[in-house]
Amino acid sequence: RRESEIHRRRKAERMVGPQYDLVGNPLGAVRATFERAAAAESGGRDPVAAFRSKDWGASEVFRSFLFEQGGLDKVPLLDASNLGLIKPNTLVRFRGMVQDMLGNEFYAGAFKDGSTWRTNKFTDFSPFAMPHPCDSHLWERHLFHCVPVPGQNSWTLESSPGPDLRQMANCLTPEQREKRKRDGDDDAMDVSENGNGGSSSCSKKPKEDDVQIPSSSAEMPASENVPQMNGNDHHIPGSSFSCLVKIYDMPESQVKLNDVAEFIGVYTFDPELAAPNDNSDDIMFDLIEDVTAQLPPSKVPRLHCLVWRKLSSVDFLAKHPAVEPLPSLLKGIRQSLLSHLTLVLGKDDLAANCLLLHLLSRLRTRVDVVTVGRLSLNFTGFNRESVSIFGKQLNTLIQGLMPYSQAIPLSIEYLNTATLQPRKDNKSGRLVTGVLQLPQGAHLTFDETLLQSGSLASKGVENTVLLKNLMESQMVEYDFEYYKLEMATDVQLLTLSEGKSNILPSDLVVPFRASTVSAVNATSEELESWRWYLATVRSLPQSSEPEIYQTIQDEMVSAMRNDRSLGCTELSRWLTMAQITASSFGEKSLSLEHWQMAKELERLRKERMQ
Amino acid sequence: QAMASNGGGNSNSPYSASSPDVRPSSPLPATNSSPPQSARRASGRLRRGPTSSPSLGGFETPPPPGRRTPSGAGAARQRQNWTGRFPPTPSTPMSTDDVPLSSEAGEEDTPETDGGGVGADATPVFVWGTNISVQDVNAAILRFLRHFRDPRDAGRVDPVMDEGKYMRAIHRILELEGGESLDVDAHDVFDHDPDLYGKMVRYPLEVLAIFDIVLMDLVARMEPLFEKHIQTRIYNLKSSICLRNLNPSDIEKMVSIKGMIIRCSSVIPELKEAVFRCLVCGFYSEPVMVDRGRVTEPHICQKEQCKASNSMTLVHNRCRFADKQIIKLQETPDEIPEGGTPHTVSVLMHDKLVDAGKPGDRVEITGIYRAMSIRIGPSQRTVKSIFKTYIDCLHIKKTDKSRLHIEDSMDTDNTNASKSSEDGHVTDKIDKLKELSKLPDIYDRLTRSLAPNIWELDDVKRGLLCQLFGGNALRLPSGANFRGDINILLVGDPGTSKSQLLQYMHKLSPRGIYTSGRGSSAVGLTAYVAKDPETGETVLESGALVLSDKGVCCIDEFDKMSDNARSMLHEVMEQQTVSIAKAGIIASLNARTSVLACANPSESRYNPRLSVIDNIHLPPTLLSRFDLIYLILDKADEQTDRRLAKHIVSLHFENPEVVEHQVLDLSTLVAYISYSRKYIHPKLSDEAAEELTRGYVAMRQRGNNPGSRKKVITATARQIESLIRLSEALARMRFSEVVGVRDVTEAFRLLEVAMQQSATDHATGTIDMDLIMTGVSSSERQRRDNLVAAIRDLVMEKMQLAGPSMRMAELLEEVRKQSSMEVHQHDVSDKSSFLSTRLIWWPDIYTC
Repeated sequence: RRESEIHRRRKAERMVGPQYDLVGNPLGAVRATFERAAAAESGGRDPVAAFRSKDWGASEVFRSFLFEQGGLDKVPLLDASNLGLIKPNTLVRFRGMVQDMLGNEFYAGAFKDGSTWRTNKFTDFSPFAMPHPCDSHLWERHLFHCVPVPGQNSWTLESSPGPDLRQMANCLTPEQREKRKRDGDDDAMDVSENGNGGSSSCSKKPKEDDVQIPSSSAEMPASENVPQMNGNDHHIPGSSFSCLVKIYDMPESQVKLNDVAEFIGVYTFDPELAAPNDNSDDIMFDLIEDVTAQLPPSKVPRLHCLVWRKLSSVDFLAKHPAVEPLPSLLKGIRQSLLSHLTLVLGKDDLAANCLLLHLLSRLRTRVDVVTVGRLSLNFTGFNRESVSIFGKQLNTLIQGLMPYSQAIPLSIEYLNTATLQPRKDNKSGRLVTGVLQLPQGAHLTFDETLLQSGSLASKGVENTVLLKNLMESQMVEYDFEYYKLEMATDVQLLTLSEGKSNILPSDLVVPFRASTVSAVNATSEELESWRWYLATVRSLPQSSEPEIYQTIQDEMVSAMRNDRSLGCTELSRWLTMAQITASSFGEKSLSLEHWQMAKELERLRKERMQ
Repeated sequence: QAMASNGGGNSNSPYSASSPDVRPSSPLPATNSSPPQSARRASGRLRRGPTSSPSLGGFETPPPPGRRTPSGAGAARQRQNWTGRFPPTPSTPMSTDDVPLSSEAGEEDTPETDGGGVGADATPVFVWGTNISVQDVNAAILRFLRHFRDPRDAGRVDPVMDEGKYMRAIHRILELEGGESLDVDAHDVFDHDPDLYGKMVRYPLEVLAIFDIVLMDLVARMEPLFEKHIQTRIYNLKSSICLRNLNPSDIEKMVSIKGMIIRCSSVIPELKEAVFRCLVCGFYSEPVMVDRGRVTEPHICQKEQCKASNSMTLVHNRCRFADKQIIKLQETPDEIPEGGTPHTVSVLMHDKLVDAGKPGDRVEITGIYRAMSIRIGPSQRTVKSIFKTYIDCLHIKKTDKSRLHIEDSMDTDNTNASKSSEDGHVTDKIDKLKELSKLPDIYDRLTRSLAPNIWELDDVKRGLLCQLFGGNALRLPSGANFRGDINILLVGDPGTSKSQLLQYMHKLSPRGIYTSGRGSSAVGLTAYVAKDPETGETVLESGALVLSDKGVCCIDEFDKMSDNARSMLHEVMEQQTVSIAKAGIIASLNARTSVLACANPSESRYNPRLSVIDNIHLPPTLLSRFDLIYLILDKADEQTDRRLAKHIVSLHFENPEVVEHQVLDLSTLVAYISYSRKYIHPKLSDEAAEELTRGYVAMRQRGNNPGSRKKVITATARQIESLIRLSEALARMRFSEVVGVRDVTEAFRLLEVAMQQSATDHATGTIDMDLIMTGVSSSERQRRDNLVAAIRDLVMEKMQLAGPSMRMAELLEEVRKQSSMEVHQHDVSDKSSFLSTRLIWWPDIYTC
């Protein structure tokens, strides 16, 4: 045993990071770096105490492999389709939304195996027996329940495909499949033993039926009430697949609920671990049950995160050569997008202009209850027929442009039955999602033409209050049973209705007047450039010269003199529109010209309102 | 007399051989996952330095069963540092019989130890893995219990005070025979002996075990026959930890956390001692102790004559059980960072602590943070990597930190909460609030702090502040109620940030309910009866007004509210109840709520030519129930416009973080208001009462319009009630127990500011309560009378000349010619139709 110890150690020393198969056997690299670091520290009484909640160099190895040596492309992207096909204890990528935060978990992070210090970081298993477990250190990691982003549009998936896994899975020989019969411990040993090979190591392929089991279908309220979102059910968090991400070495506050992020880490998914602890002799196990008990490793894969980063809409774009967002370039794309929007909206120029501003709006600041920068839009003058034509076209276009979007048919029945509010289920300890649990930057389209008069049940009243609150202050109230917690959101809201919607009070109400109906299709190159345009413009920094302040203030005062009905909300909206107009041309600061354009747009809109 | 029972008697209990701690290396934290049986192992870890003779007579009495889990991971780590010094010889743990809480045993073992508290045995005994000497701790605890004097008692002259605080407490326990626990304020321990405090927090298992033992000894000496075991319950630690900051280094430490109970398990009877019976011969076995959740069932009947094997069966009703319960504690909303979700932790409650809290209670828990390993797979070897954590509860205290302290019955049903001392943390906060209240400009400061980004409207904000603070509710023995809640109506032009004010108030107030008059059906605003779909039971469900009992109910778009819902408000705003008669249930629910309503004028913008009543289509009866009615008018004023423009621009461009200084932040404001509402109940001083009377009389006299025939009623009894409430609220803002003259003066000013805007008779410029009461001002009434007379004269005259019919236009022309008054056509037609009902011979007047 001792010899094998030494042998292994030597081997580890020889294998400096990159020589490892970081994709096939990430844990090997983790352990090798750990043992080296521990050996370097061995002078001290307690060499690994220093490694608590910090990196000893493992993440660095992966970081440089992934981002400097182009290793990112070799890492498969985890989704529902390849859930069972990826080998456990390999490196995977997962893009998802933080749906719930499950607190922290303590684990024996480092322990002494004979004279050598070993680590359990980035794994739930200990490959080594722990003869003297008192020589161990408790470390902590944070658990996040992540799901595919609700309403994620299909084009975002193409943006960074991983290697084809099906092919990889087909490479497995029958003997290799046999191997999974062995117990988990041995398998885990394999990982470290065959570290550099990575070819024959554990290749557990779960039974097909296990893969299909949704993680928490029981908790999901009747899914037929959930709006149809872009066709498939991926978008209902919790109903398809989800992933339990364990993040190390960071304060939990770095991750926020509903963040969209890419996690790269060690993947474990093992249906064989499903066996319940029926022989548990200790009542404590059952009573102090964990949230994770609801997400058994057999159904919800674990991802021990090595590297993660938050994603913004720019990250979903297909690999684009880094182009300087010059105003001249943006202007051109703006024109082509605007003319396409006009076509989609039946040659209604005003509506197209407003829609463009709406698509470019984002929540910039929030001062107490006041929100600055949002621009929700309400197209009036729709009826069922026109919705079926223009609404459909509009939805298709928005799906093609925005990374996450949902269309919600707002009917009495929907309001009375749908679960909009995310709710904490204190029995299971989990957050049960609602339609309004959305990532920052999501787009919602409400079709209000379906709304007939009828009585709202109390749930309906609750739902309308939620929607109204979302519209007015970009806040969604989450129900924690004993109290409510308001979560800030940044959601773009578009309403299609017959008359002005009072249930969903939008910032900008535009009567829609289509003159022609024309089928329009955009090429994929066009779509790509528009996506890039929208993402770029939305992330442009905004500044302005103080000179313009005075002029705008004067303009506002004189406008108020002429029209006493102008109030804070209207003037604030003008300014928002002017600022978005400016950035739509790629300008970083607001000029008088754009202010005038916004005012002109507003004048046309007023005219049409009468 | 001072007896400490350290060292001494070598009473090896018969059970020591079967002691669980046979593992040579220190117990693995992971495997010791079962909680109870702490006594033997806790004492087992008390090791005597070089000798392996372990017995300490003093430790005969075990701590309460099922109280603490023994070793743990944290201790394991501390321990390993010491393994070098103490060779890992198996510690023969001295263990004890748990059954008789052997006060006798302690007695017979310790007669020779005496005095001083330091044991006769000079060999120092250390707690395993630490440099804590058992004797030292023992002595320190004894000193503390004996000699601690509450500094607060120092001033009092009382013969009973010779004894220390805790000796008195122990006596009380003995006398009452009821209490089974001694609450020990950790602040007291710290004040007396900071070193002991530090040891206690760092090694709670060991120190508390000693604590219990010392206590038992003490009790045994005072009352040898006292059978019950007294547990030490530490509370009120120097520092409390935020739930999400619990981390591995807190394992095995004493922690204090605050949170809200969200779930309670049912009470679990935990087997402590098992009794077996032989199925063959009926022989009852000796009680068998439960060891780490396991009972060793005797294989053979112990009766000599029987010796049947595998015949023993458990006899449930002769076993001894202890109560156990697990609760889930969740972070309270104020501790959750933005964009986070609340953390939870499991808390294990034993014996008396079971059911001490209910879901929804806010509590402060003092306990020991522990971890235990969990299996993640069926294979036993792959265990030990993940740990579950929980808190072993020592003490639970209910705190009521809901935003504006509402509950009052919290403490009455709580046996464990100690009322003797205030939470130190809270005291600090309160001192800060009190300091704030002494500032001379606190009133202005509070005004500024309320919705700081809505500027101007200062008087409106002052009114809203009064509403938040509220007056004193009064209940006379006769049963008459005087509400303390202040109702406010805001009427104003669109775009004057009324809704924002409402939103802000809703945020600030306890149980604040925000509702819109448009959307609220009867369901939203009142209570309704629902039928349980499963059981068919009728259930009362409360609506907004009931839900906001003792809070503020914000109603937006008050004017759009249905008449039905509005009629409900009549009752709410004066009687403060909601009555429901539905499905055979007639119930009157409390709705002690302040109503803050806002309404738009009926013609979208306020028409200054019309009265308030005409501007808002609200019944005068309802209007009179509002203490303050503010008109927020958007006056055409270049200065204001410019300010608005500047504000909007700065909102968009500048860094809006620039906070106006000298403004209380939201949480301080909430704390300030809630403290004041809970503790300050101001009374009217004589001078203030005088001022109130004087002012009221003056207000009424002001209505004496010399030109009018009838006296104008300027103020009513309702106003004097409002004035009292307002001045009480103003006194509360200063944390003053007395309502002073200046409060009354300010209340008058506030009322007048509000009245001037809402109840000004536009014809005379005076305040006219008739306007609120009937919708018609007295000068208007006079004018109408004059007009009627004029028309009558005119018509009579005309009739004589031109026969029995005339045109409206002509009539109007004539009236205008004759009188200097401004006359509208509708006035004339009003009056003539009025006349026509009186005078049968009235000619037809054609309206053109």
